[in-house]
Amino acid sequence: MDQETKRRHPPRGLVLFGMFFKIGLFTFGGGWSIISQLQDEFVEKRQWLTQSDLMDIVSVGRSMPGIMIVNISVLLGYRVLGVPGSILSAMGLTLPSVLVLTAVTLFYNFIRGNLYVERAMAGVRASVVPIILAAALKLRRASLPNLVSCLLALAALLLSLFSGISNLVIILLGVLAGLLYRGGKSDAVS
Amino acid sequence: MLYLELFLSFVKVGFGSFGGLSMIPLINQEMTSHGWLTAGEVSDIVAIAEMTPGSLGVNCATFAGIQAGGFGASLVAVLGVMTPSLTLCLLAAVFLAKLSRSPWLARIMGGIRPVCFGMILASAVTLSASNYLVDSAVSLWAILIGALVLVLLVRFRWSVPAVIGVSAALGVLLIR
Repeated sequence: MDQETKRRHPPRGLVLFGMFFKIGLFTFGGGWSIISQLQDEFVEKRQWLTQSDLMDIVSVGRSMPGIMIVNISVLLGYRVLGVPGSILSAMGLTLPSVLVLTAVTLFYNFIRGNLYVERAMAGVRASVVPIILAAALKLRRASLPNLVSCLLALAALLLSLFSGISNLVIILLGVLAGLLYRGGKSDAVS
Repeated sequence: MLYLELFLSFVKVGFGSFGGLSMIPLINQEMTSHGWLTAGEVSDIVAIAEMTPGSLGVNCATFAGIQAGGFGASLVAVLGVMTPSLTLCLLAAVFLAKLSRSPWLARIMGGIRPVCFGMILASAVTLSASNYLVDSAVSLWAILIGALVLVLLVRFRWSVPAVIGVSAALGVLLIR
């Protein structure tokens, strides 16, 4: 790359930070809209990644523990610029969340205690369980492809509610069950 | 040492979550067992994190951190929740293409996904216990709001911020 084109393009680290900052600031709920934004920016516009790179990044990102989109930012940043790239991407993604949530939390602490706010919060709390259930409903097809997985989910539900076993241990039991059970090859892509 | 405890708690939350709401059961367990948040506040976090931009996990960690010990604590919590991404996932980045086609990873996820599904349902049950009881009596209005929200979300495909707005307004009007 000659001097002139270098000057016209901002450094890659800055682009990564800026792009993920934008995603962190403007994306609600997370998930799939982010992937199409990454596709537009990095595969089509800048051509830093191929389509298949992005598919690999997304499939590994959602199979690693942690926050899916932070995982994706780390993987994508590494692909483009190595370890500094992943750190810049992850920082860009989380910085707006921390700033916005700090302001919101202080505001929440300031207004709570007011009678009307308490009533509004009681209404909002009433909506949280249906929000969780509706989100779980969307996960149903990917999470429960067959009878064995339904039984696993039921076992996890009962253990989590009645056994007092830590959730982390229940997940490890799930890992074990996944490794032992050999019938699930067909959903490798799902 | 609050910072260290908070950090370790969120490292656990990070390592135990695989996408979206699967973090809630762990946050619920870690926060309430340490007495950092009540079950009601855990519900508030979910609502607040859904109404604000950014990922649920970072938003939850910031909120819980501030409530448990102020701004410094929130940075510690966020760093904790990002630990799996910055360690395990960074390691995975090196072997990206090989991993994405690995049958082992697919098999492990085949076990993890249903387990997370079951635990999400369990957290819906435990949060119900605090959200539909007002002064240890069942609140009929809260249950009706919950039922309405479920219909709006599933049947009419409303967005989450919209149903949160509606339920806040109904709360002001109906809940005494």
